[in-house]
Amino acid sequence: MTLSYLLRRIGYGLLLMLGVVILNFFLIRLAPGDPAVVIAGEMGGATEEMLESIREEYGLNKPIFTQLWIYVSGIATGNLGESFFFNQPVSKLIGLRIWPTILLVITAQILSISIGVFMGVIAARKPNGILSGIVSIFATIGYAVPVFWTGIMLIILFASVIPIFPVEGMQSVKLRDAGFVVKTLDIAHHLVLPAFTLAIIYLAQYARLSRASMLEVLGSDYIRTARAKGASEVSVLFKHALRNAALPILTVAGLQFGNLISGALLVETVFNWPGMGRLAFDSILRRDYPTILGVLFFASAMVVVANIITDISYRWADPRLRRKS
Amino acid sequence: MSPLLEINDLAVTFATRHGEVTALDSVSLHVNEGETLGIVGESGCGKSITALSVMGLIPQPHGRIRAGSIKLAGEEFVGATPARLRQMRGAEAAMIFQEPMTSLNPVFTVGDQIAEAITLHQNTSRDRAFKDAIALLDRVGIPEPDKRARDYPHQLSGGMRQRMMIAMAVSCRPKLLIADEPTTALDVTVQAQIFDLLNEIQRDFGAAILLITHDMGAIAEMADRVSVMYAGRVIETATADQVLDTPQHPYARGLIDCIPALGKSETGLKEIPGVVPPLHMLGAGCAFAQRCDHAQARCLREKPKLINHGHHPAACHGVEEARL
Amino acid sequence: MNDTPEFKPESPGLEAWRMFRRNIPAVFGLVLLIVIFLATLYGALIYNGDPFDIVWAPHEMPGATPEFPLGTDYLGRDIIAGLLTGGGPTLAVGAAAAALTMFIGISLGALAGYYGGWVDNLLMRFTEFFQVLPALLFAMVLVTLFSPSLWTIAFAIGVVSWPQTARLTRAEFLKIKELEYVTAARAIGARNKRIIWKVILPNAAPPLIVSATLTIGVAILFEAGLSFLGLGDPNVMSWGLMIGANREFILEAWWPVTFPGLAIFLTVFAVSLVGDGLNDAFNPKLRQR
Repeated sequence: MTLSYLLRRIGYGLLLMLGVVILNFFLIRLAPGDPAVVIAGEMGGATEEMLESIREEYGLNKPIFTQLWIYVSGIATGNLGESFFFNQPVSKLIGLRIWPTILLVITAQILSISIGVFMGVIAARKPNGILSGIVSIFATIGYAVPVFWTGIMLIILFASVIPIFPVEGMQSVKLRDAGFVVKTLDIAHHLVLPAFTLAIIYLAQYARLSRASMLEVLGSDYIRTARAKGASEVSVLFKHALRNAALPILTVAGLQFGNLISGALLVETVFNWPGMGRLAFDSILRRDYPTILGVLFFASAMVVVANIITDISYRWADPRLRRKS
Repeated sequence: MSPLLEINDLAVTFATRHGEVTALDSVSLHVNEGETLGIVGESGCGKSITALSVMGLIPQPHGRIRAGSIKLAGEEFVGATPARLRQMRGAEAAMIFQEPMTSLNPVFTVGDQIAEAITLHQNTSRDRAFKDAIALLDRVGIPEPDKRARDYPHQLSGGMRQRMMIAMAVSCRPKLLIADEPTTALDVTVQAQIFDLLNEIQRDFGAAILLITHDMGAIAEMADRVSVMYAGRVIETATADQVLDTPQHPYARGLIDCIPALGKSETGLKEIPGVVPPLHMLGAGCAFAQRCDHAQARCLREKPKLINHGHHPAACHGVEEARL
Repeated sequence: MNDTPEFKPESPGLEAWRMFRRNIPAVFGLVLLIVIFLATLYGALIYNGDPFDIVWAPHEMPGATPEFPLGTDYLGRDIIAGLLTGGGPTLAVGAAAAALTMFIGISLGALAGYYGGWVDNLLMRFTEFFQVLPALLFAMVLVTLFSPSLWTIAFAIGVVSWPQTARLTRAEFLKIKELEYVTAARAIGARNKRIIWKVILPNAAPPLIVSATLTIGVAILFEAGLSFLGLGDPNVMSWGLMIGANREFILEAWWPVTFPGLAIFLTVFAVSLVGDGLNDAFNPKLRQR
């Protein structure tokens, strides 16, 4: 891994983020009405004083490029503006909410990739077997189920029929002051249903994808070579074949990350998970634009980071890409 | 002394769209310790399937060994357990494949791939095996072996890759080395080098070689004995000199006429007209009859058996009648 | 190939239809889709009345009253009426959004793939930028900014969904523009515009048709998600809205959320079965794997 590649990749990521900031800036101006009113929030009932201070802070009386400059440089210094509804800086609001979202999204990603790929690999051993059939039916169903509805169905199931998992929130109120281990276990317990709800759709897609990818790889000459060396079936599947089949899986994992965050938005709303999605939902209902745009900014940043990680792992997985350019 | 590898009446079938197709039909051959047996024939004649049968690697789930026996060092391997086959592969018999480009795993280093072969069969540490791998790369004539061991296959040339394949195949000192068209994918100049290397390896390691090729030139260069195959059957077998000097079967004669020789003009180069019939279209008679200048009514009716008609065994009615 | 008369090559469309017809899940999907379509089209007429009307006691169990076979919701609104009238907007928004997605995606992808060079570079950076924005969140922002109506929702979904189509179109164009018949068209002096729309695009159609089908499915899910969050048109009944409105009461009554969810699921399921079937029909080789 060359450092210059990494730096170039990060530089491009920052450029994309600059694009997001500029987009945010113009979104506010595209909204019908006085931007100061928009920023203050239509439901905020802003006073004329507040509006005046907003105009002052955002330089709304200055030329548009000066306004853009004020906005961009503000964000560069970590100032995402003030939420007039929550009466807090947006960066602080999001700072509290971003970790639950990251926890949820990463857990779901790990669950869906590991279980999905495992199913796909096993299914690929028998392309016409029962598991292969189940995988492809399950993948089509998983694709078609609205994620929020899956969540609701699971809540109905686990709230009344088999009450073994909590269906709401991230922590039990009575365990707020418990020790670290108990608290961690409590969060993990709360995480089960939201993470699975989110994972299910992608799990099915990874299973289908890795099955197809494995089928292609298993026909290669080097798989025969591995067998001719005396490698065991497990080693052939999970070492020799999967390392090669992983490339398209990684590509999709990178592309899906944005969708995963979109899904998390709905899942957080359903399970009252205190993350950015929940925050976005609340702030949209209140027309709290600084917060909404802050969430959009951070969610995009997460996608950018995920893309950089994908690119790096792609190079790790395929040595042929490493020493080019 | 019994031969190292002994194949008797081996029959292999494949399930295809055209139904069950016979890929090998009562193939018998043997390889003595330390010698080189060449199997020669056009593509699709069953020579690779023979090799894969020995390794227990017939493509699943379509291929099946229907009958016959494969004995390696006296041990029967038809019907052996998967675990026993796995133990044997790489340790007792190893295989060099045709395409060194596609036959090596692109995502592991050369050294790791050889070291893996070693650790699969010997109780040794990964580091020790990697050092052995470097020594083997040196042995097969790869310059700067400690550097190359950390390279990936795509960073090596075709000839280097094939040397690496050979290093991997001999890493556990198998008694039998199966080389399936080891030079077909390589440049002519590199081909000679690979043959030299195989000869050297055979001398030093004392391995027997089963050389699979479509090229009579390679046979002349390498083989002690030859079995000629056509459409899933052995049609002639003898020492290399006998087959090259006095081929009996018209097909073997045709193959030898195809060898470009020094001094012969280009126009003198012959080829056998026609193609090998598809396996599902084989009739009752001799599979070569359609392409044979000397075919008679009997050839279309009755499959000739591999019988010694005076000189050495050949499966041809014509040879049999000429003797009468 | 059994009853095809010889010496008369079939049109690719007809051949694909022949393949499609043999694909049982795909035909099932198509039939299901037609049934759903007709139900939403005529159902509203049979159940003429406002789905927002309170017609009975709240939370009536399904089957308890013959007049309301699927029960009523938390306000006492008829669930079947909601299902039948709520499907139309969902399907319409899905179709409109998919059309917009295909329009933007194909236009940009075609230009990038055909012209290459800096045009390609610029358009692909632009596409990558849009892929960075989490689609649903971006759509939520757009809908909020421009006040929700069926049109703004369709517009928002289209604006956030096109990048994949653009990439697919670009890849197809890159592949096809190297083929002989494109060179031939150029040799006889066809202009770029003609080559793009009349020569390459028809040959890129099969994967794009499949993609369009699947895009409808995604757009329907999107619309459902937005309505569920309460960002749909508040004056129009939709399946997502039914789930969202009844969400607070799921532990008292399961049916007001279950049936609309099933309706969304079956619709998208049918669409994706048809999409998979089309994919198999256009690529018969792939299916034999």
